[in-house]
Amino acid sequence: MENLVHTVVLMLEGTRVTLEIFFITLLLALPIGLLASLGRLSKFRPLSLFMEFYIWIMRGTPLMLQLLFVYFALPMIGVMLPDIAAALLAFTLNYAAYFAEIFRSGIQSIPKGQYEAAKTLGMTYPMTMRRIILPQVIRIVLPPVSNETINLVKDTSLIYILAMNDLLRVARTIVQREFDMTPFVVAAVFYLAMTFVLTWLFKKLEAYYGKYET
Amino acid sequence: MENMKPDSKVMLRMTNIRKSFTGCEVLKGIDIEVKKGELLAIIGPSGSGKSTLLRCINMLETIDDGSIAIEGEYLAKEGAYVSGDKARKLLGRTGMVFQQFNLFPHMTVMENLLEAPMQVKEMKREEVLPLAKELLSKVGLSDRENYYPSQLSGGQQQRVAIARALAMKPDIMLFDEPTSALDPELTGEVLKTMRELAAERMTMVVVTHEMAFAREAASKVIFMADGNIVEQGSPNEFFDHPKEERTKAFLRNML
Repeated sequence: MENLVHTVVLMLEGTRVTLEIFFITLLLALPIGLLASLGRLSKFRPLSLFMEFYIWIMRGTPLMLQLLFVYFALPMIGVMLPDIAAALLAFTLNYAAYFAEIFRSGIQSIPKGQYEAAKTLGMTYPMTMRRIILPQVIRIVLPPVSNETINLVKDTSLIYILAMNDLLRVARTIVQREFDMTPFVVAAVFYLAMTFVLTWLFKKLEAYYGKYET
Repeated sequence: MENMKPDSKVMLRMTNIRKSFTGCEVLKGIDIEVKKGELLAIIGPSGSGKSTLLRCINMLETIDDGSIAIEGEYLAKEGAYVSGDKARKLLGRTGMVFQQFNLFPHMTVMENLLEAPMQVKEMKREEVLPLAKELLSKVGLSDRENYYPSQLSGGQQQRVAIARALAMKPDIMLFDEPTSALDPELTGEVLKTMRELAAERMTMVVVTHEMAFAREAASKVIFMADGNIVEQGSPNEFFDHPKEERTKAFLRNML
């Protein structure tokens, strides 16, 4: 029993690392993804091509490979990052690419008539995006964003290869030391608890942003 | 009847308007003139270019050649538009009502009306509120101000759209087939609102398939086909004594 308490305490510490990666990635990837989607939709060809290329690279290679690249390959060309920064860089660039595609499809699903109505009322493009288009896009992208966010909780476990003591790595360490499988079960319960909270939160958000639909 | 006569002030003048979409010329040198208080009805078969012509007035489409002047000031001269700021100012004198209403679905009826005056004209909510309430009562929807568009019928949505455009106090109202997306029993309420607007001497350009409305409410009717104006005249001349064969054939089908 005492052992289990000790295990849980250690794993709570691991959970803190996991949550740190999760929240900071989300906080950075959402706005960067939004900007990337606007760039991807830009009429300025070089910008939209660049964004397409970036999205292609990020979605076309494994996140694990991207982590290893940032962690091991960048130092070779003289870019030294602290562990956590390296992990955050890879996660943010990767998730921003996925969010960019989600936002792009959301923005494109808004009927042309909304832009036209705003224009005939004298609204500028930034005003139209901020007041008319994006509030509707939020409603549309919430389900896929919710999906990606839950994926992110689980993907954070990939940082175990970077020798950072996240939830999964702590669990594995204890399992290897004590030859006891309980930490894996505890880890599963922890991940489930986090995704449960997220599922609930997104359900609330969907109801809030969908209140204009009958 | 004397006060029903339009003023002589020209509100909108379009000359030699030309427009092509990928090689296909949809407007082949159109001239129109609308005086203050007039209701110009533009009718014609689909694909005749009438909606495109209307959309050229407020730059939803850009012309290839020709001139557009709003209240004597050029928006475009011989195919070239004036600079952005000047254009925006001139476009502010027009209001537009769309076939698909295009209300902002995430805003209530009242928010739809307040949005542009508050954002574009930077007016305070309290400043716009009296006008917004007055407009809603004018279109008969005072009791719906806190509804979302999805909770309204098509006819009600279109009346809100009219009120929303009027909230910017335009001098010219443009209607692009405002009743085409409505069930027949709902077109009446929208046309009634438009008639009331006409009775208040609002200058209006209306692209429509509603012949009865054009006949009774318009001061002038233009019939377009294949990018040209085939015939124009007062509703009486036009509907009772059409001159062109093309017009006669069209009217036979419509009436």
